[in-house]
Amino acid sequence: MTQIESPKVVKKKLFSPIWLLPIVALALGAWLGIKSIKESGIEIQVHFPSAIGIDIGKTLVKYQGLTVGKVTDISLDKDLSGVNVTIVMDYRSDPFLNKNTLFWLVMPKASITGIEGLDTLFSGNYIAIEPGDGSSTSKFIASTEAPSMIPNEEEGIVVKLTTSTLGSLDVGSLVFYRQVPVGKVVNYRLIDSDTIIISTFIEQQYSHLVNQESQFWNVSGLKIDASLSGINVNTESLASLLAGGISFNSGAKADKAVTGDHYVLYPDEESAVKGVEFVLTAENADEINQGSAMVYRGVEVGKIHKTQLTESGVKFLAKFDIQYQHLLNADSQFWVSGADISIDGVKHASRLLTGSVVNVLPGLSDSAIPQDFKLQNQAPDLLSDSKFNIKLTSDEHNGLDTGAKVRYKQMPIGEITQVKFSDDFSGVEYLVEILPEYKNLLTSDSHFVSESALKIDASLDGVTVTTRDISTALDGAISLVRGNNKALVKPNSRFALYHSNENAAESIAKNNITTLTLESIDGAGLSAGSSIYYKKMKIGAVKDVRWDNKTDQFSISLAIKNKFSQLVRDNSVFWRNDAASINASLSGIEVNVAPLEGALKGSISLGLLSDDQMGNQQRLYDSKELALKQAQTITLTLPAEAKVAAKAAIRYQGHQIGVVQQVKLNQDLQTLTATAYLYGEYASHFTKSDTEYFVVDAQISLTGIKAPETLITGPYIGVIPGKGSESADSADSADIFEAHLAARYDADIDDDALTLIIEDSQLGSIKVGTPIFFRGISIGQVDGYTLSDNGNKVLMYSHIEQQYTHLVNQTSRFWDASGIQLEVGIFSGAQIETGSLETLLSGGISVATEDVTTSENKLSSGASFNLYNKMKEEWRSWQPEQVKP
Amino acid sequence: MTNEFAQQGKDVGMCLCKVCRNINPIDQTHCSRCESKIQPRNYASLQHSWALLITAAILLIPANIYPITIVTNQGKVTYDTIYTGIVHLVHLDMFPIAIIVFTASILVPLLKIVGLAIYLSAITFNLPLPKKKLMTGFHIIEWIGRWSMLDLFVIALTVAVVNMGQLLDAKPAPAATAFALVILLTQLAAKVLDTRLLWDRLEKNNDTN
Repeated sequence: MTQIESPKVVKKKLFSPIWLLPIVALALGAWLGIKSIKESGIEIQVHFPSAIGIDIGKTLVKYQGLTVGKVTDISLDKDLSGVNVTIVMDYRSDPFLNKNTLFWLVMPKASITGIEGLDTLFSGNYIAIEPGDGSSTSKFIASTEAPSMIPNEEEGIVVKLTTSTLGSLDVGSLVFYRQVPVGKVVNYRLIDSDTIIISTFIEQQYSHLVNQESQFWNVSGLKIDASLSGINVNTESLASLLAGGISFNSGAKADKAVTGDHYVLYPDEESAVKGVEFVLTAENADEINQGSAMVYRGVEVGKIHKTQLTESGVKFLAKFDIQYQHLLNADSQFWVSGADISIDGVKHASRLLTGSVVNVLPGLSDSAIPQDFKLQNQAPDLLSDSKFNIKLTSDEHNGLDTGAKVRYKQMPIGEITQVKFSDDFSGVEYLVEILPEYKNLLTSDSHFVSESALKIDASLDGVTVTTRDISTALDGAISLVRGNNKALVKPNSRFALYHSNENAAESIAKNNITTLTLESIDGAGLSAGSSIYYKKMKIGAVKDVRWDNKTDQFSISLAIKNKFSQLVRDNSVFWRNDAASINASLSGIEVNVAPLEGALKGSISLGLLSDDQMGNQQRLYDSKELALKQAQTITLTLPAEAKVAAKAAIRYQGHQIGVVQQVKLNQDLQTLTATAYLYGEYASHFTKSDTEYFVVDAQISLTGIKAPETLITGPYIGVIPGKGSESADSADSADIFEAHLAARYDADIDDDALTLIIEDSQLGSIKVGTPIFFRGISIGQVDGYTLSDNGNKVLMYSHIEQQYTHLVNQTSRFWDASGIQLEVGIFSGAQIETGSLETLLSGGISVATEDVTTSENKLSSGASFNLYNKMKEEWRSWQPEQVKP
Repeated sequence: MTNEFAQQGKDVGMCLCKVCRNINPIDQTHCSRCESKIQPRNYASLQHSWALLITAAILLIPANIYPITIVTNQGKVTYDTIYTGIVHLVHLDMFPIAIIVFTASILVPLLKIVGLAIYLSAITFNLPLPKKKLMTGFHIIEWIGRWSMLDLFVIALTVAVVNMGQLLDAKPAPAATAFALVILLTQLAAKVLDTRLLWDRLEKNNDTN
């Protein structure tokens, strides 16, 4: 416990480790201080015209977006011409602060070419620096604008353009190539009093477009070319419209441009584009104006530059773009083409606004390019060699225009290319182009018919409405109607063009028909177009009906189709068709109805007689019956009292040989004129000049009724054939006869009958027709009677029939056997002698002959005999044995 | 009374445990209760305090020269030192805040360093200064010193809240570190100092004030 511990001596530390802290802090501070001093900026002064947009402490200095300094102070210039801006630059920027270093203020700038300094909207304006060379300095004068950013080779090329006026170009104006922005104007400066050099930067990816043949022109602003052909507004882009622009083209194969190349800046494209100049001539400048485009396959290859009036027309100065100059050859063709408005639609509607263009067809020729080319109005026809041209002729213009389609079965096969008068002005001639593939459709007998858009064909067959497309209505169209002929035609053949199918048919029929003319006493209800039938089939038509005022006859021209022409021959006859003929006779009723069309329009029928008969082909018969019987017309003059009516028969021996067609009272009231037909087969007998006609009416007498049928049918006309020669001697025939009320007394006498004249003092009961008996057999009769010229006896004309003539000779005696012979004798008693009952009623003459007839006592016609009152007894015993010759 | 008043623990052989406030005999090296190391006087603390104070003073320079915040406002980057921040507040007519910030950020650290320097000088060089006033000043410094962290606290909050990229962003700048170190070191300097040394000197000099 008491042990004393040695004191623990703790050496007092002089320095605590804590002192490291201030040392470290000091070291750090010193380092920081040294560093900050070292990195403290370089103060420079930049003279700005104004301090607008510059803030102390805020406005930074930037180089390529990197902040390299800061405005620390702004002070006024001594002479108040601007402000001195004190800028502390980053210490690293020292090498760049040289004499040619540029400072300028970047402010937000919105222009049409773009917005610059957009970042400054938020960060505030800043001062941009562009390092330059020269000696180091700290005082600068700021540029008012950004210096042109001359890019380096990797970014593009800079070419220099020389111009006399700047126009609306500005730094930043775009450079276009085919309206694609490829660069911009980076600088311009006035070199001398009239030269401006514009530096143009072309981006690298487009720099190959600029070559030694390139041409630059100003596309600034809006170019409005208003003319009658439309309004042409030209601008490259909206930017160039407002801020100006430059466009250029590229040469074909020239060396690439390099930076520093000089070009001329033309005021506009027209003056710039080199191209090939040539002259187009035309008669007038319709549709084509200065500035009209020249187009090849729809691509604009050039323009009309100038229009000049010359003595002979108009001269256009045209220019091809240089890249299209190969299209111009000695045989190049040019023609105007505008918008094409047709019923098929509108082609090239844009040309309604832009005006017509000049179409170009390059040629192939290698020969020298001529001075001028002709500007055609129509496209040259490339197929003209292979096209098939024909000519159509028409009587008059059918409203068909150039371009009207030619169709076959409604398929277009060609079109009209020209319409003109024929050379002698007798018609219209159409030049028609047939597409080569259809030329085989044209055969030598083809023809064309113009179509109408709407055709209404109303006829008895019904109503047909035919419509065609509307282009037919506007341009017209024609149809090809092929013929049957297979022969092909040569180019430029002529064809006929008709108005309508009917017209065509008619015209063709004209060449294809047999015509003949009929005579008729009346028009027969016919008119042109009335049909002609054969066995009720139409074989032709009436072409014309004409009246001849001299003969009061009608001539009817018939047209019969050729294929039926063999029907017109010697035994053909024509008659007119009644609408309906009712033939009512005692033998029955026949009703015949003509074809309806013919009934309405009137028609004619053709019929054939049997082969051995000859028909009259100049005559139009009233009816089939007459025709087939080849009736012949005669005219009869009758006493007025004759009760003959139309349709009365003409009979010979009771047999009908003709018919009365019409009867009319003549103006003298004494006579009737009857027109009658004689049936052809008998006509020759009854047209002889000595033919006798007479009226047969019913005669009722004691001996009977004569012609009792006339009580029903009416009187008819009897006829006695003439005795003229049999030969058809016209001198011996006649067609006008005088008819009598009764037949001549000797009308019925045979030619070879023996005629006698029996004389008596009294006629007694002798009448016409009183028979002459021989042994009670009638061998003849009394044909008539008359007083002798001196009036002392009656002459009774009688005849003995031919087979009995030998029974009568000069020894014959005639007596009156009429009535009743009553003899009353004392011794003999009463004796009554009569003839037959007929003789008792109508009287009679008996004859007895004493001797045999010989050549000596043979009677000749006209011999006279006395008529005894009664028979002598000895005559009864006369019994000569006659020999029949 | 004066003697009573002036009597110190070492005079009676007693030493206070700084941890558990137990009074131990002066010859013990460790507290009898908590066994913490006890010392009657810590003369090294004076050196420590000086070192920390000097470090703080050195750091006060970059803390004021260098920007304390980097504010990005709509892409625009602003570097603010403590002073320019206060100037901003003055420009914005916010004088009370400006005064608070000025006091907390400039005045207090400065006064604290100056005050501590006087205090330490008084101990080290036995300057004839009234001990009671020094003590009062020391207490004020110790109390107010913590408020100097206000500025850093504001920065911390701002940095945490305002973070909108290029539009609006705030970041602490190098001066913030320095400033924080200044505050920390001054606090430490005040804390490590064994204030009993002042009273030793008081006894020696027997000056009343």
